[in-house]
Amino acid sequence: MKTIINRILNTEFLTFNEVLRLKVAIVTVFLFVFVFLSIPLSSFNDFTLDINILVPLGFALILILTLMLMIFNLNRWAMHLSIYTIIGLTIFYVGGSNHFYGYILFFITLTIIIFYQDIITYLIYGGAITIYGVFYTVQNGASILGINSTGIEASLFTYQIILVGFYLVFLVQFIISDNIYEKMNNEWVRMNKVLEKYQDFSLEYLIELSEKNEQDLIYKNVKFQQTISEQAVFINEFFEEEGDNIAEFVEFYFFLHDQNIDDIISDESISPVTRKYSMEFQKYLLNKRSELVSILFNFSTLFKGDNKYDKKRYEYSLDKLFSNKIDKLLSLAILYKYLKTEITQYDKWGKIERVLNHEEITELFVSKEFREFISFEQVNFYLDNQELFEEFL
Amino acid sequence: MKQKTEKHQFSQLEIYKESLELAHLKIKTKIFSLFVFILAGLVLYFLIQLGAGLGTILPTMIMFVVLLVINFAFYSYEEDLYNNLKISMYISTLGVYVIAVSLILQYQTPSMFTALFLAYAITSIFQEYKTMILSNFALFVCGTLLIVRFPDIFEIVGTTESQTFFILVFLIIFVLLLTLSSYILIKRKTFFYNQLAEIKESEVRNMELLMEIENIKTNSSLDSEEYYKSLKGFSVELSKKIGIENVFERKIELLKDLKIMKTTDILEKYTEYNSKEIEEIKMMELEVRKKMKMIGIKASKSFGIEVSRKEIFSESQFKSFKHFGDAHYVKIISFVVFYTLLKLDKPYLSALEEDKVKDILYNSEYFYRIDREIINIYLENNMVFDTIIKDHMKGVR
Repeated sequence: MKTIINRILNTEFLTFNEVLRLKVAIVTVFLFVFVFLSIPLSSFNDFTLDINILVPLGFALILILTLMLMIFNLNRWAMHLSIYTIIGLTIFYVGGSNHFYGYILFFITLTIIIFYQDIITYLIYGGAITIYGVFYTVQNGASILGINSTGIEASLFTYQIILVGFYLVFLVQFIISDNIYEKMNNEWVRMNKVLEKYQDFSLEYLIELSEKNEQDLIYKNVKFQQTISEQAVFINEFFEEEGDNIAEFVEFYFFLHDQNIDDIISDESISPVTRKYSMEFQKYLLNKRSELVSILFNFSTLFKGDNKYDKKRYEYSLDKLFSNKIDKLLSLAILYKYLKTEITQYDKWGKIERVLNHEEITELFVSKEFREFISFEQVNFYLDNQELFEEFL
Repeated sequence: MKQKTEKHQFSQLEIYKESLELAHLKIKTKIFSLFVFILAGLVLYFLIQLGAGLGTILPTMIMFVVLLVINFAFYSYEEDLYNNLKISMYISTLGVYVIAVSLILQYQTPSMFTALFLAYAITSIFQEYKTMILSNFALFVCGTLLIVRFPDIFEIVGTTESQTFFILVFLIIFVLLLTLSSYILIKRKTFFYNQLAEIKESEVRNMELLMEIENIKTNSSLDSEEYYKSLKGFSVELSKKIGIENVFERKIELLKDLKIMKTTDILEKYTEYNSKEIEEIKMMELEVRKKMKMIGIKASKSFGIEVSRKEIFSESQFKSFKHFGDAHYVKIISFVVFYTLLKLDKPYLSALEEDKVKDILYNSEYFYRIDREIINIYLENNMVFDTIIKDHMKGVR
C-alpha cells in the first residue's frame, strides 16, 4: 500500500507503462469494493439467489485475472479487462435492481474509462456505455422516477441530457488536452533532438581534445573498467548469490566500444542473447553521443551559468528580440556573418571543421524552419541585398 | 530524510512554466464559458418546457449571466492575467455548483441530482490542482448534504426501501475515484509544462556548455573586432545602395564600446538612446554577451530535424537507466558508468564530492531515471561506491 501511495505521489516521474500499471491497480481496488458491495445489495435485486452469488464470484475471478495480467506486465490487456468488469458490474447493478444508486454506476464507469486517458478507448467503451445508459432510461425510466418528479418525460430528459452532457464534456476535454499536450510533446521531442545535436558537437570536441592531448579515452582506461566491474559486482550481490556473472557483461560492454555495434545487431549468425545485450548496451556507450552521454551533459548543466530569467531568455527570433528596424538589420547581418565565419558543421571526414557557404546560408534563410529566427521581411531584405552580404560579411 | 525533487531544479523553471500555462488557461477559460452558455440554453429550454414562470426562470438565468460576466471581466483585465484567470477559475467552479444545487433543491428529483456530476465534468476542464480540490470537495459536501438532509429527493415511485445509505457509499467511492484520477492526470500534465520549461533552459545551458568545450578545444574565441569591421563595410555599401545616410555606423560604434564601458558611461556618451534601447542593443554585443552566439549556434543546428508521430509520447524519448525491457545487468552497468563519470575530473566539470552526488541523485528527477532497487542500494551504501572509486581511480582524468 505504501508503495502504491508513494507511486501516486510521484506519478509524474513514472514511465507510461508504469502509470498504466498504477491506474489498473487503483481501478482494481475500487472494483473489488464494488464486487464486495454487490453482496449486501443483492438483497434488493430481482435475480435468483444463484445469480446473486455466482455473478459477484465471477467478477471477483475476473479481477484476479486482471491482477495476473498485471503481474505479467500485460497492462494494456489488464486495462481492457478492468473496463469490461466495470461495464459488467454496471449492467448487473442496473439490470437487477431498478435503483438509483445503480444508475450512478454509469457515471462511475465513464470516470474509470476517462481515468485511463485514451481517447479511442473512451470513444468506444465510453460511447457504448452512454448509449446503453440512454437506452436504459428509455426502457426503465419509470423505475428511477423520483416521487417529486413532474412527469416521466421531464425526468427522462434530465437523465439523458446530463449523461450525454457528461460524456460530451469529457470528450471535448480529451480533444483539447490531447491537442495541447501533443503540441507540447512535439515541441519537446523536437527540442530533445536539437539538444542531442549540441551534445554531438560537445562530445566530438572532447574526443578531438583527447586525441590532441594524446590521452586515452576514458572507456579504454583499465582502471576505469576495473572500477565499473567492482561496483557492478557489488550491486549485483544484492540480487544474485553468484554476483560475478555480471563481470563478464561489464567486459562485453567495454568490448562493444571497439566494435561496429550496428553490424552485431544486424548479424543473424550471432546469438540472439548477444544481439539483445548489444542493443540494450548501445544506449549507454561512451564512444558516441548515447543516452548516457546526454544524461551526463544534462547533469553537468546543473553547474553551468545561472542567469536570472528574463522574458527574452528563450527567444531566438531577431524580429521579436529587437524592436528597432536598424537593430533588426544589424542583427541579421551578424547572424549571417556568424554562420559564414564560425565552424559549425562536420566536414566529409566527420570532423567539426566546416563553415556554411553563402548558398547554404541562403537556403537556410528561405527555409520554413528558419522563421523561428528571421521574419519574412528580413528574408526579403536579405534576398534583395544578398550580394552585399556575400561580399562584405 | 524527506525527498525534495525540486531542490536541484533549474531556478528559471517556475516563471517560464507560468507563461506556458497562461496560454492554455486562456483557451480553457473560453471553453468553460462556452459550456456554461450551452448549459444555460438547455436549462432555459427545460424550464420553458416545464412551464416554469418568470419568477423561476429569471433567478436561474441571472446566475448563469453573473457567472459569464465574472469570467469575461477577469479575462479582459490584462494586468496580472495569470492570477486573474486563476481567481476566475475558483469563482467559476463554486458558481457552477451553486447553480447545480439550486436546480436540485428547486426540483428535488434523483434525475436532477446527477447535475452535480455534470458540474464536476464542466469544472474539470481547467485541470488545475486547487480547482480540482475545490471541485471534489464541493461535489462531496453538496452530495452528502443533499443525501443526508434531503433524503426525499431520492425516493423512487413504487419503492419503499431506503437507498440513501448506498447512494452515499457510491458517492464517496465516486468522489474518491475522481480525486485520485484527477490528481494523477493533473500531476502528469503539470509534468509536461515542467519538461518543456526544463528543456528550454537546458538548451541555453547546453549551448553554454558547448561554447565552453569549444573554447577549451580550440583555445580561441570569437573575433568581435573582425565582425564590427565587416559590419561597418557592409553598412556603408548598404546605405549607398538604398540611398540613405549611414544610420548603422553610430550603433556599431556603440556595440564596440559596450565591451569596455559601463552602462552609465554609455548613456552619457550616446545621449540619443535611452536605457531601454541600450539594453536591447546590448543583446547584439559579441564579446561579453552570448545571445547572438546562441542564436548562431541554434540556427546552425536546428535544420533537418523531423519529428514523426511515433516519437511523440514514446517512452524511448525519456532518457534513463531503467528502460522497460532492459536486462537488470544493463541497468546496473549503465548506472555505475554514469556514477563513476560524475566522480571523475572532466574538461568541462570537476569531479563531484560524494555528498554532492548523493544529494543530487536523491533530491532531483535523476532519482527517477535510475532503477528503484539500484538507486536504493546506492543510497544505502554510497560510501562503498566512493571507496571503490578512490581505490582504483586515483589520478585518473
